[in-house]
Amino acid sequence: MTEDPKAFDHQPDTVLGAALRAALDPGADAVFLARVRAGMSAARPGSWDVLAGWARPGLAAAVAAALVVGFALGRTLAAPDALDEAAVMSAEGATPTTTALISATRPPDASIIFASRP
Amino acid sequence: MSPEPQPPVGDARIGQREEAALVARTRAGDRDAFGLLVERYAAQARRVARAVLKDPDDADDAAQDAFLSALVKLDQYDPRRPFGPWLMRIVANAATDRRRRRSVRSAEPLDPAITGGGSRPDTQAERSALGTRLREALAELPDRRRIAVVLFDVEGYTHAEIADILGIPEGTVRSEVFHARRKLRTLLDDWKEPS
Repeated sequence: MTEDPKAFDHQPDTVLGAALRAALDPGADAVFLARVRAGMSAARPGSWDVLAGWARPGLAAAVAAALVVGFALGRTLAAPDALDEAAVMSAEGATPTTTALISATRPPDASIIFASRP
Repeated sequence: MSPEPQPPVGDARIGQREEAALVARTRAGDRDAFGLLVERYAAQARRVARAVLKDPDDADDAAQDAFLSALVKLDQYDPRRPFGPWLMRIVANAATDRRRRRSVRSAEPLDPAITGGGSRPDTQAERSALGTRLREALAELPDRRRIAVVLFDVEGYTHAEIADILGIPEGTVRSEVFHARRKLRTLLDDWKEPS
C-alpha cells in the first residue's frame, strides 16, 4: 500500500475541505441566530456572575466564621470568672490563714507568714 | 459545492482588529456587538459541533451553549489574540461534553439514519449520499481527529491554532490530520471512481 503523498500537506485540502463542508452544512442560520439572541438576554457577561455565584456560600461562610469567633471570644471573656470561682472553691476547706492569704487583695506581709509557722 | 467564505480564511483574518473592537463593545454592555460575532461564527461553530455530535439538533444546542458560555466568559478572552480559536475551543469543549453526557445516558449505538443526520432532509448536502458517507466516516474517527481535520481542511485554521484549541502539541495535530485525511480521502476516491 502506498502512502498518500498529500496526507502530510501543510496546506488545507480544498477538495476534501469542500466535501466535508457540504457534508456538515447545518443549513440556514436564521433560526439558530434567533435562539442564540434569545439566550443572550438571560446571560450576563463579566465577572459579576462569578461574584453572584459565590454570594450564597460566601454569606454562609461569613455567618459560620462569626459564630466561631463569637463563641471563642465568649469563652475567653468568661475564663477569668471561672478561675476566680475555682480559687474561692479551693479556699473553702482551708485554714483561716490560707483563706486570708488567697482572698487578700494586698500582697501578704512576710512577717505574718513566718510568724504563723510552728 | 461552493464553499462560503468563513473566518479565519483569507480576508477574515484582517477582521481581527474589528473582532477585538466588537468584544470591547460587548464588554461595555452592547449586546448587538456580540450578535455580530455570533453571526460571523455561527456556521463555523455549528459545523464543528456537528463534526462531533452528528445529530444536527444536538450540534446546534452545543453551539448555542458555546456562544452563551463565550459571552459569560468574555472577560477571559485576550483581545490581542484571534477570537476564532478562542471561540472554537469553547465550541469543541461544549460539543465533546455533550457527546460524553449523551453516551453516558444511552449506551446503545445510534441508528445510522440518525448519525447520518437524516432527520433534516431540507438541504442539498443532507440529501447527498456522499455527504452521508462522509459523516459516517467522520463518526468512526476519534473526537480529536475529526475536530482537527475539520478545523484544518474546512475552517482553515493553522496547526498551531488547532493545537491551542485542542490543548495538544502541534505535532499531534499534524498526526491527527494525517490519519483523518488518509481515511477520508480513501472514501472520497472510492466515491469518485464509480461516478
